Amino acid sequence: MIVEMHNICKSFGANDVLMHVNFSLKGGEICALLGENGAGKSTLMNILGGVLPADSGEIILDGSTVTFETPAESLGAGIAFIHQELNLINDLPIYENMFIGRELVRKNGLLDADEMRRQTQQVFDRMGLELDPKTMVRDLDASYKQIVEITRALLMKASLIIMDEPTSSLTEPEIQRVFEMIRTLKEQGVGIVFISHKLKEVKQVCDRYTILRDGKMVAEGAVSGVTTDDLARYMVGHDIRTMALQRDRTVSHDVLRAENLTDEKNFRNISFTVRAGEVLGVTGLLGDGRSELFQAIFGAGSDYTGQVFYEGRPIKLRNTTEALDYGIGYLPRNRKENGILKDMDILENGTIVSWPLISKFGFINRKKQNQEFDEQVKDLHIKLEEKTDLITSLSGGNQQKVVLAKWLCTRPRLLILDNPTQGVDVGAKEEIYDIILKLADNGVAIVVLSSESQEIVRVCDRTLVMYHGALHGELKGEAMNEHNIMRLATGTLLN
Amino acid sequence: MSESETKKKTNVFSWFRNMWMTNLLFSTGMALIVMIVLQTLALGFNYDTVGTWFGTWLQNWINILRNNAGIGIIALGMTFVIISGGIDLAVGSTLVAIGAVLMMLIDTGPLGILQRMGITGVPAYIFAIILGIIFGIILGEVTGLLVTRGKLPPFIATLGTMKIFRSVTQHFMQGYTPVVPKPFLNIASISVGGQLLMPIIYWLILAAALYIVSTRTSFGRQVIAVGSNERATKLSGVNVNAIKRKVYVLMGFLVSLSAVIQVSRIGSMDYANAGSGYEMDAISAVIVGGTSMAGGKGTILGTVLGTLIIAVMNNLLNLLGVPPFLREAFKGVIVIGAVLLQKKDSSS
Repeated sequence: MIVEMHNICKSFGANDVLMHVNFSLKGGEICALLGENGAGKSTLMNILGGVLPADSGEIILDGSTVTFETPAESLGAGIAFIHQELNLINDLPIYENMFIGRELVRKNGLLDADEMRRQTQQVFDRMGLELDPKTMVRDLDASYKQIVEITRALLMKASLIIMDEPTSSLTEPEIQRVFEMIRTLKEQGVGIVFISHKLKEVKQVCDRYTILRDGKMVAEGAVSGVTTDDLARYMVGHDIRTMALQRDRTVSHDVLRAENLTDEKNFRNISFTVRAGEVLGVTGLLGDGRSELFQAIFGAGSDYTGQVFYEGRPIKLRNTTEALDYGIGYLPRNRKENGILKDMDILENGTIVSWPLISKFGFINRKKQNQEFDEQVKDLHIKLEEKTDLITSLSGGNQQKVVLAKWLCTRPRLLILDNPTQGVDVGAKEEIYDIILKLADNGVAIVVLSSESQEIVRVCDRTLVMYHGALHGELKGEAMNEHNIMRLATGTLLN
Repeated sequence: MSESETKKKTNVFSWFRNMWMTNLLFSTGMALIVMIVLQTLALGFNYDTVGTWFGTWLQNWINILRNNAGIGIIALGMTFVIISGGIDLAVGSTLVAIGAVLMMLIDTGPLGILQRMGITGVPAYIFAIILGIIFGIILGEVTGLLVTRGKLPPFIATLGTMKIFRSVTQHFMQGYTPVVPKPFLNIASISVGGQLLMPIIYWLILAAALYIVSTRTSFGRQVIAVGSNERATKLSGVNVNAIKRKVYVLMGFLVSLSAVIQVSRIGSMDYANAGSGYEMDAISAVIVGGTSMAGGKGTILGTVLGTLIIAVMNNLLNLLGVPPFLREAFKGVIVIGAVLLQKKDSSS
């Protein structure tokens, strides 16, 4: 099967999202679709997937022009779209998820579970997967959920699969598992569009690339002929830095000291210190317990034993309001779920933490509120039209900066950043790194939680590596490289 | 000439369309205006002279506002509850419970509590009202604790308290008819310019105050934040449980004010039926006013408009002589219609 998209244009109001974009893909080919947030990748694929109509341009499928008005029509033509947020129902077993909406029934009208299981098993066999169709989806890890989505597309006879950031929530071994699957699909003649921000993965698994910038196609070609640096340069339009960021590393007193922190489930025997002016990394694979650990310290997680000292004093936070009083800030992971208030405007999202601080008799001092936020907008280079627009009108990177701004307004002395660059494009990522280093230079103690070892190497002075809830090692200087981090994170000890 | 006229018309039309699609308050306001026009027409049939017609119109309006002040005040509190992502089914029962306590306190019969303590007259009324308010706040706090500490869904918690409050009140008040002293009735019935305006004035003052609370205070904005994304709000250093408890306390406070107005207007209370259906009427007003049941979205102004829409519709049905049993059906249509309209708005 060959699909070609010609001269696709799409605008939302006065905003041109796609301008005369061409895109093509044939069976047995893996094509990376790259671009910063807002470059138009999702819009282009939504048009192909029947989610959005194009303003102009045509889609040619095996030589004949087609139009898809709904996702169902697109799927009927053999094009499956796997969204970043998976569409699986946790409380149903795999085989029922595979047939959701098109369940097989017996003559008597009841579900034909045997046949559904048999067909599911057939696809699993074809893909060489050892999965029991009766397993509940809830019990699968993230990579197998992704794999179940992909096999579902196969079951629906898809010959072209669009994957929107399939690896964004996966750990390294899980990513490799999904890649194996993708390669098997390729051998069987399925065409794949791979949307991602992770250029190393693109080099690993893709054949061709197409790069969008500001709604225009700026480059395409064979992946074998370019480096990840080239790709990054095409995406942002200029060179980007990749080595560790250099800075004056003067650290002073201990800000946070943890001794033997243990909760029943997620972490045990954790001891460490963070000093003022220092950027401490905490990394590991998914399920290492680092987020749970710092949420507990912040007063938003489970109860724990052990002792936390803050600026020398023993403390135990029972709720997040106390954290605010101590000058501890926390940028959560999963911006959409934990970070933004979708019904509120940019200004309110960026100042919610400081409302109690700038209120008199309960009334928010609007002048102060505006002043403080304007300052952050300037410092963090937040790009926005009106402060009174909804937060959801901003790009991912700018949303993240607003979430960060709400804590910076309170001038924290300890800042915990969980996955600070999640879902943020290359350019904004660099800006966020610069902000982190500047804060550290100003004497803030910073903890960066991240599963991207590249990010840790780039921005941290020192890193702790966690493995299944335990502290597995500490790295700094030369030893803090991606190789060592990965060895510790997968449970191997360094010699 | 005709061309420019057409152009102007399309502009007005597209402005109107734009406002209708994007501004919930605008569409709610327009719906209210349409209702008022219909009601005015219905009222106008029998009157010849403008003067008497206007007098009747005004009188009709004062009656509408006064009859709906009690529910209007409860709807104000319900707005906060629903915006925060909760619901309160117990407002009617709470009203009865507070009303009973209030009347036991001010009773001038042999069983009157304050009278037996030797407190009578204005001090007794003030004392009774303060105690009534405190009682309302305590009942609100009970709901708040069930929702936060007990981690019960608000629907379940208030379904339970709804049954408990009314049933206990009925049990203790059986065979006891307190006598409400005449001067107490002045609270609602003192006349302003020859009209009984006090309930309306209380309602409007509370609406204005709560509008300011909702738009300008830290608490008001935090309520919206909690309804919009509870987890993110918690991670922003907000004590979410404290906010939720305050919301139910505010609800209890407003119900107690509504109870004071109810007792002083009528001078008695039917414990089995008073306030029944108030929860649904208040919720209807809030929903028609554009507040989302999912939380995070809603305005006090919208709720006032929503209350008025339902009130004017009741009045209209009355004027048109629609049979009483059919009237509830119209309320249902209005609620469903309003939400259908809002759905279209948010998805476009």
